[in-house]
Amino acid sequence: MIIEAGVRPAPGLAPGLELVPVRTVIAAPIDGFLRLRPGDRPLVTAGEAFSVGAALADALRDGETREVARADPAAPGPDARPGDRWSSLVGEGRPDGDVGSAELLYEVAGRWRVAAGDLVDRVEAPVSGIVRDVRPGVGIRITVPARGLPGTEALGSPVRGRLEIAAPAGGELRAGAMDVGRRGTVLVVGARVDAEVLTRARAMGVRGIVVGSLASKERRDVLASDERQAAARHRIEPFGVLVLDGSLRRPIATPLMDVLRALAGREVGMLIDPPTLVIDDPEVALPTPSPELVRIRSGPHAGIEGRWLGLAGVRRFAAGVHLEAGRVALADGTTLTVALADLERFQ
Amino acid sequence: MKPVIRDPHPLFIVDRGSATTAAALVARVDDRRRLLASIAAPASIPVDAVLEHLVATLRSADPDLLSNLRFPADPITSGVRLEAVSRPPRTIAVLTATVRGHAALASVVARSGWNQVGATIEQDDPRSVAARLLDPAVSAVLAGADQRAGADERGGLADLSALIAAVATRRPDLPIVLAGAMANHESVIRGTSPDRVDVLPAPDARSGTPPGEHLREILVGVGRRDDDARWGLARSTELLASVLDRRVELLEVGMSGGLRAAASVPAAGRPYDLAAITSAGAALVPARIDEETIDRVATWSTEHVDRHRLRDRLHELRAHPWADAAGDGARLRMAALHAALAHLIELTPDLSARPSPDLIVVAGGAWAVAPAPIIALAVADVVRRPAAVQVAHDHARILGAIGTIADRAEAQALIADLVDDMLAPLGSVVIPGGLRTGLPAGSVVVSGSDRPARVELVPGGLAFVDLPPGIVATADFEFRGPVVLGASGRRFQVELAGGLGGLLVDLRDIPLRLPDRQDLRRELLAGWQDPLWQEPAWLGGGP
Repeated sequence: MIIEAGVRPAPGLAPGLELVPVRTVIAAPIDGFLRLRPGDRPLVTAGEAFSVGAALADALRDGETREVARADPAAPGPDARPGDRWSSLVGEGRPDGDVGSAELLYEVAGRWRVAAGDLVDRVEAPVSGIVRDVRPGVGIRITVPARGLPGTEALGSPVRGRLEIAAPAGGELRAGAMDVGRRGTVLVVGARVDAEVLTRARAMGVRGIVVGSLASKERRDVLASDERQAAARHRIEPFGVLVLDGSLRRPIATPLMDVLRALAGREVGMLIDPPTLVIDDPEVALPTPSPELVRIRSGPHAGIEGRWLGLAGVRRFAAGVHLEAGRVALADGTTLTVALADLERFQ
Repeated sequence: MKPVIRDPHPLFIVDRGSATTAAALVARVDDRRRLLASIAAPASIPVDAVLEHLVATLRSADPDLLSNLRFPADPITSGVRLEAVSRPPRTIAVLTATVRGHAALASVVARSGWNQVGATIEQDDPRSVAARLLDPAVSAVLAGADQRAGADERGGLADLSALIAAVATRRPDLPIVLAGAMANHESVIRGTSPDRVDVLPAPDARSGTPPGEHLREILVGVGRRDDDARWGLARSTELLASVLDRRVELLEVGMSGGLRAAASVPAAGRPYDLAAITSAGAALVPARIDEETIDRVATWSTEHVDRHRLRDRLHELRAHPWADAAGDGARLRMAALHAALAHLIELTPDLSARPSPDLIVVAGGAWAVAPAPIIALAVADVVRRPAAVQVAHDHARILGAIGTIADRAEAQALIADLVDDMLAPLGSVVIPGGLRTGLPAGSVVVSGSDRPARVELVPGGLAFVDLPPGIVATADFEFRGPVVLGASGRRFQVELAGGLGGLLVDLRDIPLRLPDRQDLRRELLAGWQDPLWQEPAWLGGGP
């Protein structure tokens, strides 16, 4: 049954295209969140503007709970409240009697529990922006007045670096291609990446990886590597991974790859929450995707792109499943009928 | 709430799920309201675009009908809408003084619709517990102990209450439920936040029937909204039982959780008889895909797929629930659905102990695109009680929204008007109990269709009889030995309703026993399912 008749097309869209899930290529502005844990020290206040490289917070790498007796001469005063900063050189939490700078957690039975640690990592801003809200132990909300390329997931830490295209949209990078010459870069590594490349990239000082998909095995390895690094005594370089699609391999979509190509050689920032590649150079011209370009996101033809031809009505697909479908013209002149939910368009 | 029955205009019923937006058009035709059209689309599609498409579909199919409706000039923006929403489950932090006390609380929370993260004073560093409570993803706190705190718990309760009191000053938005002996520490928590109204004392995890029921009810009530589709589904189950005068069970599986509701006509003097359990863990793909989730789905998978690949595919299914819905994707979805449903049944032994229902209604996005016979088989695979039941599908996804209508009489009248339209008959399932393996079980003769159909019954197998929708047939069962089918006996005459999946006589074990070896299990499951991944012959289907 053809059901195009009577559909009122959305302004500027071909008929039926409004029923295809849309993917935002460029979002602006970006509201970001930087998670803090008890003991982490925010170094900014609400309303404050910050620029790239500004110190946002001191994060404890080895945070733990220590105790301070109320009877201690340096114990927090009666007005102290949970969340307050407190410092003492005569505490009793460490063998040398110094609990350093700490955050008050709670008081019970005449003793304060405080969140403290010896190893502090400075969290630097990967982008410029404005602090919206600061809540010790919870996080820092920021607004970034810039354009961003949203991903589906990000792991690791917020980072900044020079963007370099290391592999084509459907390609993959070998571990051997990773050397110290790529130190400080944010690498676009194609359709997928394996754990060895990620480990080597981190070791070589690469700041970030942008990849089409990340399998769960690699995701687990990245998270484990993060935990190992956090447990280390030496300071670690921040490292982030931005995933543009999901878990199963497929090429990076052309509209996204076009943006990444336009950014090659320029500094970009990477936020973890939300997972976004931040383009803070307002001068860079970014390509706009054709409104009729659709990409087959999943199913047997995943990764193929084409031009929207229109709705095809309800069609029967493999395994007797009936789905609303659309017709897509491919570059080789053939036409595919694809379930609408397997498609995505770009704006 | 809008008086939907008395409004003469057509009514859009919208169910905005976590993964799916479902829309239906209901209008008065002759003397009663009818369901004229329905559609479902990914939740990312704007509701107005979905409604436009719905109206266009109806216009294309029956332009005269549409022109006779009393539509406003612009029906999409000014038409009457009844809307329900399924929101992603929120997360509750479950805190106890001891590890021992945690399991009981966690099992209650598993039946309350919340996602949960846990911590104990005994085992966890207070800084990490505080970090968990301060995590913006956590929306509520449950701290509990036995009603009479055990000796091992008493020491930790003061610490726990002081920690919660401290967090309460920094998270004034956080509802706090204090269960069992923790309720005695309410003044400590209120001492730092005297204005708080959302500190709720509650009984412990053993109070009520079944154990923990009183606490569960409190947890369900925390933050529930009137337009909640899952709550509406539970209420509609009870209304459906009243309208049909039958025992009704509803099994809902969606992207944000699952619901099992059972209702029957109440005994005299009681306003209703409804039991309903929601679970975030019974989502088609839970938010956290852990090893247990992988095991559950692998148990029901008919495909050979390694664990890493299965995890990746479940991640994709979670991220894009509508994508890859055909072919292998449909089989994966069905394995995940089985796993979710089995988990839901495991969590609700109290509902399984009720008398077997006459009608099982399946609802929720997880069932949306599966062929009817496969749905009937999935129900039979997991809900295994000796009984004859009719299975139907809330295909237009309107039960949830109707259940949110505040006026009971209004909601009931709407269900009474629409019941024939809104429940797609999937067929009937007959599961006799007590069959002896290895011997022919007997036979069944089904009369009512064109000509009587006789089917020999083989224990351990499935027998299918074409019984199209709209047909009411009589099935005469003759078993060689005594079996249980409602009552115990050898001969039974059962009246059965047809459906898209026909009649399924299920002669497999109760409970279903599957081989431990994965390859044998896959082969067995595929053997049962493969013939059903196609339309029935009477509908012109083929492989």
